[in-house]
Amino acid sequence: MSKIEMTVNGKKVSHDVEDRTLLANFLRDQLGLTGTHIGCDTSQCGCCTVHVNGAAVKSCTMLVGQANGADVKTIEGLATGDKLHPVQQAFTECHALQCGFCTPGMIMAVAGLLKDNPNPNDDEIEHGLEGNLCRCTGYINIVKAVKHAAAAMK
Amino acid sequence: MSAVFKGRREDRRLITGTGRYTADWNQPGQLYAAFLRADRAHAEIVSINTKAAASHPGVACVMTHVDTAAAGLKFPPPFVPYPGKGGQPIKVPQHGVLAKDRVRYVGEEIAMVVASTQAAAQDAVEKIEVEYRDLPALADVEDSLKPGAPLIHPELPGNVSMEFDYGDQAKVDEAMAKAAHITRVKLYSARLVSNPMEPKGCLAVYDAGKDVWDFWSSTQGMTMMKGSMGPFGIPPEKVRVHAQDVGGGFGTRGGAYPEYLVVMIAAKKLGKPVKWIATRQETFVSDHHGRAIRLDGALALDKDGKFLAFRLDWICDLGAYPAGAGPMINTITPKLTPTGVYNTAAVYGYHRLVITNTTPIAPYRGAGRPDGAYLIERLVDEAAREMKIDRLEIRRRNFIQANEFPYKTPTMVPYDSGDYPTLLTKAVEKADWAGFEKRRAESKSRGKLRGIGLASFIEPAGAALAPKDQTLLKFGSSGNMILHSVTGPSGQGHETVMPEIVAREMGIDPELITLSTGDPDGPPLIGGGTAGSRSMSSHGAASLMAAREVIKKGLELAAKDLEVAAADIEFRDGKYKVKGTDKSIGIVELAKKQSTTAGTHPMDAGGEVPAVGTFPSGVHVAEVEIDPETGVTTVLRYITMDDCGFVVNHTLLEGQMHGGIMQGAGQVFGEDCMYDRATGQLLTGSFMDYYMPHAGLIRNLEVYDSCVPSPTNPLGVKGAGEAGTTGSLPTLMNAVVDALRPIGIHHMDMPITPSKMWHAIRAHSK
Repeated sequence: MSKIEMTVNGKKVSHDVEDRTLLANFLRDQLGLTGTHIGCDTSQCGCCTVHVNGAAVKSCTMLVGQANGADVKTIEGLATGDKLHPVQQAFTECHALQCGFCTPGMIMAVAGLLKDNPNPNDDEIEHGLEGNLCRCTGYINIVKAVKHAAAAMK
Repeated sequence: MSAVFKGRREDRRLITGTGRYTADWNQPGQLYAAFLRADRAHAEIVSINTKAAASHPGVACVMTHVDTAAAGLKFPPPFVPYPGKGGQPIKVPQHGVLAKDRVRYVGEEIAMVVASTQAAAQDAVEKIEVEYRDLPALADVEDSLKPGAPLIHPELPGNVSMEFDYGDQAKVDEAMAKAAHITRVKLYSARLVSNPMEPKGCLAVYDAGKDVWDFWSSTQGMTMMKGSMGPFGIPPEKVRVHAQDVGGGFGTRGGAYPEYLVVMIAAKKLGKPVKWIATRQETFVSDHHGRAIRLDGALALDKDGKFLAFRLDWICDLGAYPAGAGPMINTITPKLTPTGVYNTAAVYGYHRLVITNTTPIAPYRGAGRPDGAYLIERLVDEAAREMKIDRLEIRRRNFIQANEFPYKTPTMVPYDSGDYPTLLTKAVEKADWAGFEKRRAESKSRGKLRGIGLASFIEPAGAALAPKDQTLLKFGSSGNMILHSVTGPSGQGHETVMPEIVAREMGIDPELITLSTGDPDGPPLIGGGTAGSRSMSSHGAASLMAAREVIKKGLELAAKDLEVAAADIEFRDGKYKVKGTDKSIGIVELAKKQSTTAGTHPMDAGGEVPAVGTFPSGVHVAEVEIDPETGVTTVLRYITMDDCGFVVNHTLLEGQMHGGIMQGAGQVFGEDCMYDRATGQLLTGSFMDYYMPHAGLIRNLEVYDSCVPSPTNPLGVKGAGEAGTTGSLPTLMNAVVDALRPIGIHHMDMPITPSKMWHAIRAHSK
């Protein structure tokens, strides 16, 4: 067991956890932040993407100990009060989600992508989404939403 | 019908991380389950020793076939309420919910551990000792069908569960004998893994006082989930199903999996909530797989290229057990549209359902439809080439014409409506088919092979999962309404579109109506869930009928309120108006006035429609470019011209098309669930090994529609959920083959991987 402290969505949290706990499970099970989804066990699907110290990472690839002291943002912390983040706004306006299971990870990945590259072209968007799977949308409207969000954030 | 799309009503919770899927539900004091699965494809079980597992710290119980049998659970027969060839019923092997004396595929459930933590349950599973005696594994239908092949189930001679045929064999033989030309193709529709992004799982709580389970699980409909539990041995009325958000269905979340029932009896035995969430690896081996069909077809034509007869042979892998709707989708479904959109006097189909040592096969988006369309449309393209008739022309010569509806197929199935020639004309115009040769030449100048392909297809939609579908509109105190329905949405947007249907009829704001589909305390409604592209023509149409009933009930009440005779009132734009005056009362205002605290409202009303199928059709066109240096195929453009009947919400329709087409493209360009033929081990058991479509597989996708309203339901809608997949298999393959024809290749099996393409091109350029 180890004591873990970190900031999640602006709030300081502290828990004793088993050493083998993954960040994804810590967020879901200890903190009740179930917006971070677990869709695979091999780090391919990207459903669990969150921001750790500002960078988009798959929270299932990280032991919670590796995030000790970090500043973590999950899908629940992306909007500002009632005001949606431009990527969230773009996803709903462009019908970029259907079942919604991949959506939190997809949105966090896109938010990370646009932070690094505010004006991505098609190739860069597709490359940026390589680590996120969606079975419903065919990605057509997701790519559209990325462009929509990029324009809105200018 | 909707104006500017502003997002769906279900979106807000899903984009803010506050949706609730199965794994997001928890109960105080819950225990965790984990399963031991077969690590080999075919073996006798000599013994199962659970002693060490049972004494592992934290373990509450270990369950095996002994426990499931004691609880009265049994493996249900598949859903096949009709006989096969020669009146023979399907042969269904007997076996347990957990494996007893034999395992028949890698991943088959043998035992379940329940423990205080997930980790403890998993650790204890490792301690269960199973002694096996290996048997030869048959991982391919060809091996199962070999004379003298070992029997996977002793009671199924030849490893065949069902032979099914339809049409008129003698008539087809006669047509073949006098034909000017016969075209033949042999195709394979690969085994696929459905892979909804949410892995399967469940949470069960047993209430001993009421003898009822509360059960959380993703489902394509409450009635489907509950209904599927009865044959397992748990009466549907004892289960309260909860499903708020469902992370994808695609046919794979139709009913209960064996694991769910074992979790339920454990919850009862232990008196504690039990939760089980599958890993993706478990999902790969134990979610029912899709397709896996060998398709063999012949098309007889006269000298003018008119179709005389189709002969269709399907060898369908059933997996180790006939499960759920697995046998149905590759028998009765293809029988409904065996001649496609073409006037053809004769057809004979012969389908064999074959047992193998693999995961059972069940519906996956399209469920027999894409395979049927693929076979017919590849036959038509090859016939055109062989007879030197233009691909568009040969289709035009054979299309069922718009004035022939209702049209009866040679299998006596009535197509409701359609206009196939118009779909073709509009689609090729949008695709600039006429200008293609110029584009092909331009690609050639860059050393690339360019191809264009199309498919004109039809599919049966609106599966009759129940004799009728009912909805109920109940008023709240503020003029708002709850629309109760047993539809099972998993991303289609029902919460948005069903209220839109009611609101449009009533002339009111859709925000006043909330859809309720996952409420176990809701009214007991008759109806099927969401499968077989049926929700709009069933639940949607029933919602419209409920709205009409409400309006009718309000008429008398409005008359009383306005102090006139009902005959003097007309309902228009959301208001009851006294004819010839400016006196009126809005339907919402009227409802508010009638509000009582009795729990019922005088304007509450139900609606229902009988189960009637629809036949959506379409013409899709794809243009592809192949780089012979790398073998990479790029989809340059994809156009759809679909007749899905009346379109209620075009954005949501587009979403269904996008997803359906991409799932078809996944099969065409990479998806291929493979077993090692010698051992029956699954070779593609994770996202590292199994191809999934990624962003960019198709960039330019344009969705158009050309609607002929269906006369079979009051909304005039046809199915849309599977049309994208049904169209995209033949369309993309016809385009790929068209690109390869100049170098002499006229056939290639899916999946079209760069490696396969590169080798094929090399072999042909020698």
